[in-house]
Amino acid sequence: MHILLIEDDTEAARVLVNGLRESGYAVDHAGDGREGLSRALAGRFDLIVTDRMLPHIDGLAIIQQLRRARLATPVLVLSALGTVDDRIRGLKAGGDDYLTKPFAFAELLARIEALLRRRPGAAAESTVLRVADLEFDLLARKVTRGGREIELTSREQKLLEFLMRREGQVITRTMLLEGVWDLHFDPQSNLVDVHISRLRQAIDRGAERLLIHTVRGSGYVLREEDEE
Amino acid sequence: MRDVRRWGLFNTSAFRMSTAYTLLVALAVCVTLGSTYLLTQSIVQGDVDLIIDTELRSLENQYVRSGIPGVTDEINLRIDSWGRIGAVYMLAGPRFERLAGNVTNWPFDGDPAEPYPEFRIESIEPGQRSVHPVRAAVRKLPNGDWLLVGSDMSQDRRYVRTFQIATLWGIGLSILVAGIAGFSFSFRLARRVGDVTDTCVRIMSGEQGHRLPVAGSSDEFDALATSVNRVLDRLEEQTRTLRATFDSVAHDLRAPLHRLRSRMDAVLRLPALESGIREPVESALREVDHLQRTLATLLQIALAESGAPLASPAPVDVGELAEELAELFEPVARERDLTLTARVERGVIVEGNRQLLAQLITNLLENALKYVPAGGRIDVGVKRLADRAQLVIGDNGPGMPAEERLRAGEPFARLGQRSGLEGSGLGLSLVSAIARLHRARLALESNDPGLRAVISLPLAYAETSPASLSRSMSA
Repeated sequence: MHILLIEDDTEAARVLVNGLRESGYAVDHAGDGREGLSRALAGRFDLIVTDRMLPHIDGLAIIQQLRRARLATPVLVLSALGTVDDRIRGLKAGGDDYLTKPFAFAELLARIEALLRRRPGAAAESTVLRVADLEFDLLARKVTRGGREIELTSREQKLLEFLMRREGQVITRTMLLEGVWDLHFDPQSNLVDVHISRLRQAIDRGAERLLIHTVRGSGYVLREEDEE
Repeated sequence: MRDVRRWGLFNTSAFRMSTAYTLLVALAVCVTLGSTYLLTQSIVQGDVDLIIDTELRSLENQYVRSGIPGVTDEINLRIDSWGRIGAVYMLAGPRFERLAGNVTNWPFDGDPAEPYPEFRIESIEPGQRSVHPVRAAVRKLPNGDWLLVGSDMSQDRRYVRTFQIATLWGIGLSILVAGIAGFSFSFRLARRVGDVTDTCVRIMSGEQGHRLPVAGSSDEFDALATSVNRVLDRLEEQTRTLRATFDSVAHDLRAPLHRLRSRMDAVLRLPALESGIREPVESALREVDHLQRTLATLLQIALAESGAPLASPAPVDVGELAEELAELFEPVARERDLTLTARVERGVIVEGNRQLLAQLITNLLENALKYVPAGGRIDVGVKRLADRAQLVIGDNGPGMPAEERLRAGEPFARLGQRSGLEGSGLGLSLVSAIARLHRARLALESNDPGLRAVISLPLAYAETSPASLSRSMSA
């Protein structure tokens, strides 16, 4: 997987590039907007991570140029501007995700993974989601584990569907807040943990193999194997 | 136009002024025309009286010269041939029996008291009978006979009457004209002032690019509009500068924070990290995150307090939002042995930013979750009240001292620091900033016991609600 990082803060870029390489990605780095745009247009990248405020060409302008050139490469915008309006503007400009600085590296990794796995049109609407012996019939809104029906509230079903559709992916608390409950700010309370623990009780209680796992320092993952 | 109707034209000072002006004009016209009328009437009457007096004197002279027969001859002569038109004469004996003249009976009951008594005579003219008003004067001759000279007033009365009608018309028309002029004057004035108010309201509600119309007639309204526009330009520029300042502060503080955080993250990812190091680095990382959150909150509060309007307001169903959040926080409350219940009305729509309103409700809920001891209760309510949406979040916790509750609405009021729980003061400041941004009223009240936050937001479609519609109709 090949990632282009456009970031003018060399120190921050160096740490990011190292981190991403350690995580197994090939990374190119561009130090300003003009260079970033030309490399984005020339190379074949799987993902572009760009800072929002850049010398010469602004991050949002880069996205617009890419889209005008019919390049659908997913773009993750990093920004030191963090108000709700800035976010909306970033996503409207054609960004696929928006992360406010400073962020945890684990958050960035999880979001990069999510964007890379997002195959457009793929997995399109199979009406039953399956992970191991856990089944979610989306039409009947029925959840079963090993054939035994599990009662869930619609709120819990929404959370489960989100996790099942991203089987094996690390999902951060922020991603859950945004994706499941449409909350684009950080509540102070352990809201996400409480909901996950309730879901876990319903799904994993009494089961031989656990499906919902906590990833230390990152978030949660739903997957079959129970090794961490 | 809209505003003229909304307030009612009758409520404008222009209307009051023009009404007073109209009344003044009416009064002046009444006095002028009325006195002219009275003057004319007295002149006409004075003329008649003079003629009557002159004739009486000449007949009295005749009596002195040639006695009763002379007077009789003279009267007959005047009646027959060359007398003035409408002249009335009568010579009567001591008991008022007719001796000569063109009146058949003495018209009075004896000697009339007034100097110029009036009476009516029926004249027999070919084909018709008509009644004529007569003004007369009476003298007693030295021999005890009575002499009456009068004048038919029909003509004069008609003349005065015509003049009277003309006067009344004149008064009426001038009041009408003054009224119409005053009304249209006050209507136009109210409309132009209404335009100004309208524009100000639109600018307040976020259309910052709006300016007052300048008609180009360089009157005082244009002067006003021009200076108001200049103020608006300045305000817009200041808002832009402020926004740019926020952006650069945010950027300049976040970038180093970001570098700091990245490095610490990198340290934690080192493969051979001594276990004694991990713990302090992680705790330092938590401090960085806390610092970042505080910074974000401060910037958000400052931005909201700066009066910069909502960038992209959209209709938000507060009832639905409050219900969703209450449901979301219910398990958290249950975990702390608290009861969280929501009683909300759906379809209570306000104009605003969904995320900010969600943050407002979340902050209030988390505040309650933090302070209310186990076994307590938190209630969320949303109601529609006339033209406002009322959001209430109440609890039965320890509450807040009255002086702190009153200060809650002030910008950057640091509250609730008493129990050593950090962050809540800023949380309430953000609540009040978001409320202000949505032109809402925030009140912290005692819930007896506990705290109750009451937020009253203007409804999105309040302008077309039945209540205000009927108000504008009646205006």
